[in-house]
Amino acid sequence: MTHPAGDVVTAGHVQQTKAQFYWVWIALLVITVVEIALAYNQVFTPGRMLSVLLVLSIIKSALIIGYFMHLKFEAQRMKWMLMVSVCFCLALMAVFFADAQRILTLGWKGH
Amino acid sequence: MADAVVVHPGAEAYEPSWFRTYSKKIGMWLFLLSDSLTFGALLFAYSYNRLSTPGWPTPFHVESIRNASIMTGFLLTSSLTMVLAVLASSRGDRAWTRNWLLATMAFGAGFVLLHAAEWNKLIGEGLRWPLFQTLFDLQPGTNPEYVAATRNFPQFGGTFFALTGMHMLHVTIGIIYLGAVALRKMWLPILGVLAILCWWAPGPFHYGFYVLLFGLAICAIVLLLKPMDYTDHDIEVSGLYWHFVDLVWMFIFPLVYLMSTRISS
Amino acid sequence: MGNVQNTPHRADVGVVDSSVQHAAHAHAAPTGFIRKYIFSLDHKVIGLQYYFLALASVFTGLILSVLMRIHLVWPEWAIPGIGIIKDEQYLGLLTLHGTFMVFFVLTTAPQSGFGNYFLPIQIGAADMAFPVLNMLSFWTTFAAFIVMLGAFFTVMPIAGWTSYPTLSALPNAGSLPWGQDLWLLSIALFCAASLMGALNFITTTLDLRCKGMSLWRMPLTCWTWFVTAILGLLAFGVLLSGGLLLLLDRNAGTSFFVPGGLVVNGVQQRHEGGSPLLWQHLFWFFGHPEVYIAILPGMGVASQLLSTFSRKPIFGYRAMVFAVMAIGLLGFMVWGHHMFMSGMSPYTAFAFSLMTMAIGVPSAIKTFNWLGTMWRGKIRFYTPMLFAIGFVSLFVSGGLSGPFLAQPTLDIPLHDTFFVVAHFHLIMGVAAIFGIFAATYYWFPKMFGRMMSESLGRLHFWFTFVGTYAIFMPMHYEGMAGRPRRYGSMVVAGGLFNRLAALMPLEKFISIAAFVTAAAQLIFVINLFWSMKKGEKAPVNPWEATTLEWTIPSPPPHDNFAGNTPVVNHGPYEYSVPGVERDYVMQTDPASVHAH
Repeated sequence: MTHPAGDVVTAGHVQQTKAQFYWVWIALLVITVVEIALAYNQVFTPGRMLSVLLVLSIIKSALIIGYFMHLKFEAQRMKWMLMVSVCFCLALMAVFFADAQRILTLGWKGH
Repeated sequence: MADAVVVHPGAEAYEPSWFRTYSKKIGMWLFLLSDSLTFGALLFAYSYNRLSTPGWPTPFHVESIRNASIMTGFLLTSSLTMVLAVLASSRGDRAWTRNWLLATMAFGAGFVLLHAAEWNKLIGEGLRWPLFQTLFDLQPGTNPEYVAATRNFPQFGGTFFALTGMHMLHVTIGIIYLGAVALRKMWLPILGVLAILCWWAPGPFHYGFYVLLFGLAICAIVLLLKPMDYTDHDIEVSGLYWHFVDLVWMFIFPLVYLMSTRISS
Repeated sequence: MGNVQNTPHRADVGVVDSSVQHAAHAHAAPTGFIRKYIFSLDHKVIGLQYYFLALASVFTGLILSVLMRIHLVWPEWAIPGIGIIKDEQYLGLLTLHGTFMVFFVLTTAPQSGFGNYFLPIQIGAADMAFPVLNMLSFWTTFAAFIVMLGAFFTVMPIAGWTSYPTLSALPNAGSLPWGQDLWLLSIALFCAASLMGALNFITTTLDLRCKGMSLWRMPLTCWTWFVTAILGLLAFGVLLSGGLLLLLDRNAGTSFFVPGGLVVNGVQQRHEGGSPLLWQHLFWFFGHPEVYIAILPGMGVASQLLSTFSRKPIFGYRAMVFAVMAIGLLGFMVWGHHMFMSGMSPYTAFAFSLMTMAIGVPSAIKTFNWLGTMWRGKIRFYTPMLFAIGFVSLFVSGGLSGPFLAQPTLDIPLHDTFFVVAHFHLIMGVAAIFGIFAATYYWFPKMFGRMMSESLGRLHFWFTFVGTYAIFMPMHYEGMAGRPRRYGSMVVAGGLFNRLAALMPLEKFISIAAFVTAAAQLIFVINLFWSMKKGEKAPVNPWEATTLEWTIPSPPPHDNFAGNTPVVNHGPYEYSVPGVERDYVMQTDPASVHAH
């Protein structure tokens, strides 16, 4: 038994157009090409490269979530609740890294 | 009375949905939330290993990166065809809905095939899970770089195959899902043939037979026990899943491939 | 049930207008045994299936704990069918006791069992949002249960319910093949099932509240089921990936969790480069929210019952809801306090310690409000009320040792002792079990249409309540005296623990208390099954409560409200309203009831 209301309650259902999808697709491809070019030419040091690539990937995922997955046009509370909870949990996992770095200075070093 | 039916009242009996949309979409979003944490944990585990291992190998040469870039293009384009399918279904255009869904599946299948070829090439050149060092002999034709990576940095092969394998599994599930939505019962014999073909697939993809067989069983149960006409809502929901698979690749591609490039110079 | 209505939408279902087609989803009341009781789509039947699965698990876990207590004090006893319990077997019993209790009882009964049965009814829905998914979720849980029993009967895993590597990751380090693999498989299935359940609960709460049932009119039970489902949704996915990696470590030779240079039984392992800390992070990222998954529904039940039986509105309804949310939020930020011993970074340990202390605030708000609810109420001491008060008592007793353990400096000497065993059994284990008992005594009349025996119920309560304190209070003392946990019997002559020989009388006392308390649970079983057949017929609203489940017959019909979705005009806790004839106002009473 799913909510019977369906479209009746879909607030401000904005119709997306084909042109918009093509633009998003082109933007995604362009960002990908930029990423590959950066990696090919090894423009940055690995640490800097990682942050640049991650920022670009987050932009790409925002485009996919917002336009392809239509979240930009959903109700505000749905948008915020979903995105805040998942980003919060993922950000928390960064705490793991404090221990990853300690391994370099503690205990058995390997080769 | 034996055939009494539970009468579910219409919309007017309920408060409006708190998310202002239909239930299936909310359910899929919630699933994706959870799945993104599964992938997030895997990516964090990978990064953890990489951070704590000095001298992490960077063996991917031009051809690997080229291959992965083409795969990325396939996946992005499949996302485009997917939204076009959703758009067509919201217009009520059934023919084009199916066409775009089939195009999406084709691009997805292309992705899996390219990926599988790459896996087999890497395995042949010596990049393996530690267990499989003993299963396959190190034949001639191996690449000393990959053999060294497998020997000295077992985490490299371990994380590479675990992450991309998990993602490939998700893409395969997505193709099976879209096939059921697009073709319904017609999909069952096609999937059966694909499963049988998979039996002769080289390398670890022989086991794809069991994955596809399992998918076939699930599809058969769903399609035969609850035959229904899939609506634009169902297509939008399947699209959400497909875009999510694309989204995950947007993180695996830079973290696993681009951060491990070695351009011979 | 006679008049088969067409839904108003049914006739004009078009292919394009899909919203209408969803409304046409309707399932007939099944008549065959299999569709009615086995593969049922009815949320009430599924709830009962979960409940009885949990009942089977809780008795399995109870028997395991009795065997453990026997081994600790009388290791020379030969148990029929098992023989003398060896130290490794003790670890196996410990692992499976923890696993059955945490996963298949504390996660299953309060949330999936009672939640499934009463969430849709309390918000005025005819069923869950996705009935088929609901059925799948139960049968996946059942499969997980069977696989876990398989682990019990092959080679028991010995790495604890937390399955810490390296013990769990190396087949030649004691956790022999099969047992640990089956454990991991079972947990993976359980994760998938919990995921299905969680998204069903959330969608149902968001989408299927009847007219007038705004979020702020939901009973606190619904709020806790809702927040618990969110925790489950966000936590189980992480355990799934941890389990996957551990499975690979065991079977594909990877070493995500196994460091290099490890020598087991004189043989250097081929693994290298991994870190056991990574597993602990992944596990506890799930594991701490899991603690709240176990206890939050109990908090909801306690709130509901304290208000109903004190004949007073709940004290600070909104504060209670915000406290539940705060506990849920903070619950994600404190997993590191399980790892102070592990050699984790002391800087993160500091942050985790601070966050853990912060959880005391919403917990104290809840306790204060429970006491405020009972304060000067006209308390009716029925069995469910006794168990609800017992819940509060155990929550406080167990909670008070929390702030000690939250500080790394105190936690390090205490963490691997019985002090922690006492802490988590009181606050999470037995408190949640008291929530389950309270819910059983409270909702039994609705579920089975008969009353449970009040005198047997009281007897059961006093035995369990006193027994629990007799078992776990001395454990604090044992822990402070240095009695380590996760070790077999310490009576081995000349063993490592001779210095603890003075604790033996206390150990014996705990074991005897445990046997008596375990035996007293038979009173509950007799009461449960006897009342199902012979209990006094229950009226529609035996406790004079206000929420929606008490407006429909006991037991409820297949479609809950017979097609007439209720309209809600009142909050859930309107007791002793001034100027109203009865001392309670049902949620469905006309809005004008206040205007006397």
